[in-house]
Amino acid sequence: MSRLGTILILICLAFLSSSHSGQQQLYYSDIGKLDFTSDAPLEVIKANSGKLAGVLNLSDRSFSFSIPMNSFMGFNSALQKTHFNENYLETETFPKSTFNGKIIEEVDFKSPATIKVRAKGKLKIHGIEQDRIIRCTMKINHGNISVETTFTIPLEDHDITIPSIVQQKIAEVIDVSISFSMREMK
Amino acid sequence: MDRIKILPGFIIILLCQTLSGQSLEEILNQKLEKEAGPEYTMATFKAGRIINGHSIQNTEKGDLLFIIGHRFGTLNSGFYNFFGLDEANTRLGLDYGITDRINAGIGRSTYQKTWDGFLKFKILRQGTGPHTSPFTLSLVLGSDLNTFKDPASEYEKTFTNRLSYVTQLLAARKFGPRFSLQLSPTYIHKNLVPLKIDQNNIFAIGTGARFKLGNRISLNAEHFYLLPGQSADDYKNSFSLGVDLETGGHVFQLHLTNSRSMIERGFISETSGNWLDGDIHFGFNITRNFGLQKKY
Repeated sequence: MSRLGTILILICLAFLSSSHSGQQQLYYSDIGKLDFTSDAPLEVIKANSGKLAGVLNLSDRSFSFSIPMNSFMGFNSALQKTHFNENYLETETFPKSTFNGKIIEEVDFKSPATIKVRAKGKLKIHGIEQDRIIRCTMKINHGNISVETTFTIPLEDHDITIPSIVQQKIAEVIDVSISFSMREMK
Repeated sequence: MDRIKILPGFIIILLCQTLSGQSLEEILNQKLEKEAGPEYTMATFKAGRIINGHSIQNTEKGDLLFIIGHRFGTLNSGFYNFFGLDEANTRLGLDYGITDRINAGIGRSTYQKTWDGFLKFKILRQGTGPHTSPFTLSLVLGSDLNTFKDPASEYEKTFTNRLSYVTQLLAARKFGPRFSLQLSPTYIHKNLVPLKIDQNNIFAIGTGARFKLGNRISLNAEHFYLLPGQSADDYKNSFSLGVDLETGGHVFQLHLTNSRSMIERGFISETSGNWLDGDIHFGFNITRNFGLQKKY
């Protein structure tokens, strides 16, 4: 084989090993908790899901989160849950909400600490993407990284329209809180 | 000659790049797919009834539904009867979710002063992932008691004589978010029939469909085909068209039907109205949900 061919294969091996070592750095969970509250003048609606999933790459601080939208429980009636899925979030067309991006700050994942970080990325709900920076509290322990945060989602940002007849019952801005604890991905 | 040797190298490089270039989102999705549990199809129909007949939709565990069904007189009864609105048939019903898969219901109809009760079991559930089926299958077992005092009757109307039974298999599939179709083979048994030639055992095949027009409105249709026999000769097949409208907490079903009754024995085996003659009843079902256990 020519010298060029050998070099190509070497480069290729380098790629393979780098991707392999990259995978060693992944932290993961699929049982994160997400609660949301719609606090409107006439009605308070609360729902939660325990199926928030996410993976964090320690080497470049990139992350990817997703949550199945039909996993929410709570609400004030079963019909309200159906409305949430069928009319507002259209979960059959848009089954997942996602947040993909990167942590802005440099983080030393090796030493245990509690730090404040900003997660910058694209938040996709109801098929509509918005650039967001979300402030989180991150706790780093040995073999365990947990993230807690609260933030808001304006329904208008994601093209979720509320008919005027229920405008007093659904808040225009939804409060979200997240509690997420990851372990190394096997 | 060198070019030929370089080519496989390039291909390998491309392969390697696709391997290492897998995005974090793809890694996450692969991991989730591996661990996914069953996902059951939701909202195949909007309510527990397509129009008159049962749909595979169950009342969720701990929910109590109060259903007010109303059928007016026929549209062809003219202006004097205000196109049927002067006359009214009602059924007041309660449906309760014992579990997510077992429902029980009772009702009282104007039609022949009838009491009815049913149990509905969900046997198979449509969905994706393990333990799901390509369609949903439910079983309905019902019974009704005709309490009408008929002095002209030649028979002594004992309790047993007044009873009828219905057994239905409901097989439904949701084809995408907009369209659902249901087949409902039905067996009706009447303990007492007026004449010797009348059938005690009646078989019918029901077809029901829902087409979503928008987020809060859908178009429904329902037909029951009576298998040939005396009942099919004496009566008409039930056919109904309707819309489901939703407003928070309520489902309104408005429809046009040639059936007066809202219980299976009535609308499947005793429909006398003919659509082509204008024997069409305007009607509605209003469903109000009471959550008895706060767990949604």
